[in-house]
Amino acid sequence: MSELMQLNIGPQHPSTHGVLRLKVKVEGEIIREVEPVIGYLHRNAEKLCEMTYYCDNLVYFDRMDYVASMNMEAGYLEAAEKLLGIPPPERAIYIRTIMNELSRIASHLVWAGAFGLDLGMLTPFFYCFVQREKILRIFTEACGSRQETNYFSIGGVYQDLTPEIVDHVKAFITEFPRKLEEIYNLFAKNDVFIQRTKGIGYLSPEVAIQYGVTGPILRASGVPYDVRKAEPYLLYDRVNFDIPVSKKGDSLARFLVRFEEMRQSIRILGQIIDKIPEGPFFNPKAKKPLMIRLRGDGEVYARTESSKGEFGVYIVGDGGVKPYRVHVRSPAFKNLSILPVLAKDQMIADLISISGSIDLVFGEIDR
Amino acid sequence: MSLLQTLYGIFSFLGHYPGYAISYLIETVLYLIVISLFLIFMIYLFRKFMARLQLRLGPNRVGKFGSLQLIADALKLVGKESILPKERDDLPYRVAPMIVMVGLFLAFTILPYGSLIGIGSLTVTNSAVTLVLVFAVISIMPIGEVLAGVSSHNKYALIGALRSIAKDISFEVPMMISILAIVMMASARVPDSLSISSIVSAQFLPYAVLQPLGIFVFFTAMVARASYTPFDMGESDSELVSGYSTEYTGMRFAMFYVGLFGSILLGSMLVSLLYLSGYNGPLSTDVGVIWLVIKAMILVLISFTVWLSMPRIRIDKFVNFGWKYLLPISFANLIISGILTLGLGW
Repeated sequence: MSELMQLNIGPQHPSTHGVLRLKVKVEGEIIREVEPVIGYLHRNAEKLCEMTYYCDNLVYFDRMDYVASMNMEAGYLEAAEKLLGIPPPERAIYIRTIMNELSRIASHLVWAGAFGLDLGMLTPFFYCFVQREKILRIFTEACGSRQETNYFSIGGVYQDLTPEIVDHVKAFITEFPRKLEEIYNLFAKNDVFIQRTKGIGYLSPEVAIQYGVTGPILRASGVPYDVRKAEPYLLYDRVNFDIPVSKKGDSLARFLVRFEEMRQSIRILGQIIDKIPEGPFFNPKAKKPLMIRLRGDGEVYARTESSKGEFGVYIVGDGGVKPYRVHVRSPAFKNLSILPVLAKDQMIADLISISGSIDLVFGEIDR
Repeated sequence: MSLLQTLYGIFSFLGHYPGYAISYLIETVLYLIVISLFLIFMIYLFRKFMARLQLRLGPNRVGKFGSLQLIADALKLVGKESILPKERDDLPYRVAPMIVMVGLFLAFTILPYGSLIGIGSLTVTNSAVTLVLVFAVISIMPIGEVLAGVSSHNKYALIGALRSIAKDISFEVPMMISILAIVMMASARVPDSLSISSIVSAQFLPYAVLQPLGIFVFFTAMVARASYTPFDMGESDSELVSGYSTEYTGMRFAMFYVGLFGSILLGSMLVSLLYLSGYNGPLSTDVGVIWLVIKAMILVLISFTVWLSMPRIRIDKFVNFGWKYLLPISFANLIISGILTLGLGW
């Protein structure tokens, strides 16, 4: 049995979340070596950003983490607005925070559903997606688009948030916690689910830090690091919320941390939804025709907490209307790098559940 | 009067043996058609039931309430191009799905179905060893799965087949021991206790009441036999693409798919015959088959609920579960049944 069989999982495989390819060496059912191969969804987003105006680059960021596109937009604007010197008005900051947290919930719901599918649970997927659909409906009302929203714009947001939409958000945050518990129970009260996740894919905090892992996975390993607390942006220094941390470091801990994060997002939304100030929703310096004339000089790095982890955007401007260089620190890419460590000497079934628990989105990894 | 006797009445002019042979043949073919239609109905029911559980509508476009959807799907599968893998082992590859189907449908012709008003007894054979025969026949099905996995020359299929073998070995021993308890209990009341119809008539109380552990082991084994989640490690669509049936397309794939639903129906029928007093029920004895179908369909719906709410168990956990839990439980059930039979005279 010393001979290893090479198994090629993906890029077309039911549970590789898009186009991940794993070169796996197996000994029977035991995995001895995993090598992730990426690049099947590479669209050259960083290079394309150098060829368009600052205000237009948002569309490429929308298509990076397409399940949490508002998080991506917030990350880009955090850097671009710093470089261009156009701060958004107060109302826009509130709207962005609301959308950011809704997007985080939507992303975690997609993750939970897909994780269930990876483990062979068909039903919770639909319960998650029904709730996500409500969020997407709010997005549609706000900006006319479901997934690649392109809602934020430099110096504010593209459209104002009408009172009806605010009411819909309120209705969502009053009814969602009950539905969330329902979904939570579908998973957490199932013994087989616990058996499949508890103690599987243990990640120690040291290894997590070595590999640059961030987001819910890092927090599930016991490191209370969240950019929203460490380096607050938008409204996060003005609202109360906790960073959910678990010391277990296994797939179950990642599941619990993500669900707790959704509850905290609802808590944040509840605090700010009634306090949206009146006023303009974009900075007059970034009015429509003026937008393309914005010139940036110097370099800036900004980091935000996307649903996957720390999302960093580095922009260099050479004084022109287009950025000289844009670089993205993709959280899911860094998180993917621990898959070979976690999956070593595990079984094939566990490889799938571990890669599911990492929350991979290939739009962002390949860019 | 039974269906077989009625048919023989028509064909008796051919003489004794040819007449019976033709009658048997016609009855079997008739059953195959009825069961195939029933399986199609079951797949439709599954899709509707699944949709209800998952906050969806299910098939609702073709025909009224989507009732013709399955016919359309079946026609689509028949019309599909059969893509054969280049490196296949030709004969086993072609034969494997048929072995699954043969095992399944043979088992259906052996079961006793009770009787129906106007037709009489629907049982095809009433041999004294139908119980042994049924389990002998359904043991053919795993051979088809293994052949499919090995012959299609695909690593996923191979791993799926290996998992299938490991799974089958670990649940079949407890299953047989739980059946032994039933045979033992029935032997105290009826002469030929290896015949399913005798076991049914021996159940003055459903054996589910007398052997709760037995029905647990047997039902679990039937879930594993049919191999749907939580015990679908052989196919495990999120890990091994589709396990041993990865390389199958079109009608050959449909055979495996129908085999899955057929196994669910067969398992439910066996559980209701062996543990829930089968076609016996209140009211007239002439509607036995309706009782059997009602009991089986309730079990089928329970199976669907299990299927849709459980994640997949890992193969090593299942092998553990089979040998460390199911086997001792089935032995405990055997001992308890023995005490009940001998000590209390049940």
